[in-house]
Amino acid sequence: MKKITRYIFFVMLVALPVLAQESPYFVTYDHHLEQPGNLEIETQSNAGFPRHGEPSYFAPYIELEYGFTTRWTSELYLEGQSRSGDSTVFTGWRLENRFRPLAAEHRINPILYFEYENINEASRIQKETPGHATEFDVPNSESRHIRAHELESKLILSSNVHDWNIAENFIAEKNLSHNEGVEFGYSFGVSRPLGTIASAANCHLCRENFIAGAELFGGLGSTKGFGFHDTTHYFAPALSWQVSNNSSLRFSPAIGLTSKSAAVLLRFGYSYEIRGFKDKIASLFRGAK
Amino acid sequence: MTLRAAITKKRFWNIFALIVSTVLVGIAMGQNLTYQQDPGWQPPQAAITRANPLARNADAVGGGRKLFLRECTECHGREGNGRKRAADLVLPQVQKQSDGALFWKITNGNARHGMPSFAKLPELQRWQLVLFLRQLPLSASTAAPMEKE
Ligand code: HEC
Repeated sequence: MKKITRYIFFVMLVALPVLAQESPYFVTYDHHLEQPGNLEIETQSNAGFPRHGEPSYFAPYIELEYGFTTRWTSELYLEGQSRSGDSTVFTGWRLENRFRPLAAEHRINPILYFEYENINEASRIQKETPGHATEFDVPNSESRHIRAHELESKLILSSNVHDWNIAENFIAEKNLSHNEGVEFGYSFGVSRPLGTIASAANCHLCRENFIAGAELFGGLGSTKGFGFHDTTHYFAPALSWQVSNNSSLRFSPAIGLTSKSAAVLLRFGYSYEIRGFKDKIASLFRGAK
Repeated sequence: MTLRAAITKKRFWNIFALIVSTVLVGIAMGQNLTYQQDPGWQPPQAAITRANPLARNADAVGGGRKLFLRECTECHGREGNGRKRAADLVLPQVQKQSDGALFWKITNGNARHGMPSFAKLPELQRWQLVLFLRQLPLSASTAAPMEKE
C-alpha cells in the first residue's frame, strides 16, 4: 500500500507540469501575487550534495497556488524525499497564505506571509533555511518519525526599479513540536528580464522569455542563540524561462557558503498556469444543471 | 380590465421589450453593460501626463496584442469589451483617458474592484499594452459592425 502511494506521488510529480512570467527565485518571494481565479500547478525539486561525505538527497514537491483575490494568494505543498543508499519517504504538507496590505504599487511593497507546516525532520525541500544547520547524516528511518508542526511568518519587502526586482524576506519560525525557540532566517533576491519589449510573434527562445537573477539566503539562529554560529547560507544564481503562455521552467544551482551548508543545491521547477480556473470549475457545475 | 390598467400594462410591456432588446443588443455586441467606473480610482497628475515612449514605434503594437491575449482576455474578453465581468475597455470613458493614465491603471490595478496590478511586466511591455488598447475599437467594430456610428 505504502509503495503504491509513493508510486502515485512520483508519477504525479513527473506528469504534472510549474508559472507564467515567473520570477526565477526558489526561496525569495517578491510582491507579485497569483491572479485571482488562476491556479498554478508547480513541480519543483531540490537535490542536495552535502560537504562531508554524507549521502546526497533528492526532494521533489508539488505546489498548488491559487489566487483568491487580488490581495490574497494561498498555496498547498506536498513533499517527499529520497536519500542515496537510503529510502524514499513522504515528508509532509504545508499550507501558506500571502496577503498584500497595500493596494497600489509603492517604492517598497510589503507582503505578509503565514504558513502552517505539518512535516517531519526528513524534509529536505529547503524552501527556506532558518535557524541552525540541519544534520545531514540522520537516516530517513529515524528522521521521518520526528514530527514537526511549525508556524512560519515572513515579512516580504519587494521593489521594482527600472525592471529590476529587488526583494528582501525576513523569516521567523516556531516549531510547536519541540522547544527550539523561535528561529530566524533571511533571503534576498534580485532579478531582471533579459528582454523588456515583447515581440509580436509567439517565440520560445526570444530574450523577453528569460528572467535572470540571484538569491542569497540563510539562517540567523534562534531566540536560544541568535547569530551566524552553526547556520547555513547559500548564494544561488537563478534563471526562469517562459516556455509558452502557460508554462515555465526554472533552474538554480545554489552554492553553500559555510562549512555547515551543503556544498551544492540543484533546483529545478516547472509550472503550469490554469488561467480562469475558477470560471472553468463554475461552468462545469452550470453545465450539469 | 379598466382602460388605465390596460395602459399601464402596455407601458410595462414596452419597457420590458426595451430592456430585453438593450440586453440582447448588448450581448450581441459583447459589451459589459453594467460597467461603472470607480470614481475612487484616479491616477495622480504626474502619471496622467506621462507620454508613451513607444508612441512612434508602430511595430510595438503587435507585442502589445500578444501580451493582451495572454494576460487580459480572461477578464476583459478577446475584444477587450469586458464580456467577462471586467471593464469594457472600448468605452469612450476609457479611451478618452491619456496614455499615462491607462499605463498607471495597468501598473497599479484596482485591488478593491478585481483589477490586478501588472507591475510584474517590464515597463515597456505595459506601454505596449497601452498602444494595443488604442487599437481596440478597431477590432471590436470588425467583430460587431453595429458598433459603428
Ligand atoms: C482578474 C481580472 C482582470 C484581469 C486579468 C485584467 N483586468 Fe483590467 N480590469 C478588471 C476589472 C474588474 C476592472 C474594473 C475595475 C474597476 O471597477 O475600477 C479593470 C479595469 C481596467 C482598466 C481601466 C478601465 C477604466 O475604466 O479606466 C484598464 C485600462 C484595464 N483594466 C486594462 C487591463 C489590461 C491591459 C490587462 C492585461 C494586462 C487587464 N486589465 C487584466 C479586471 C481584470
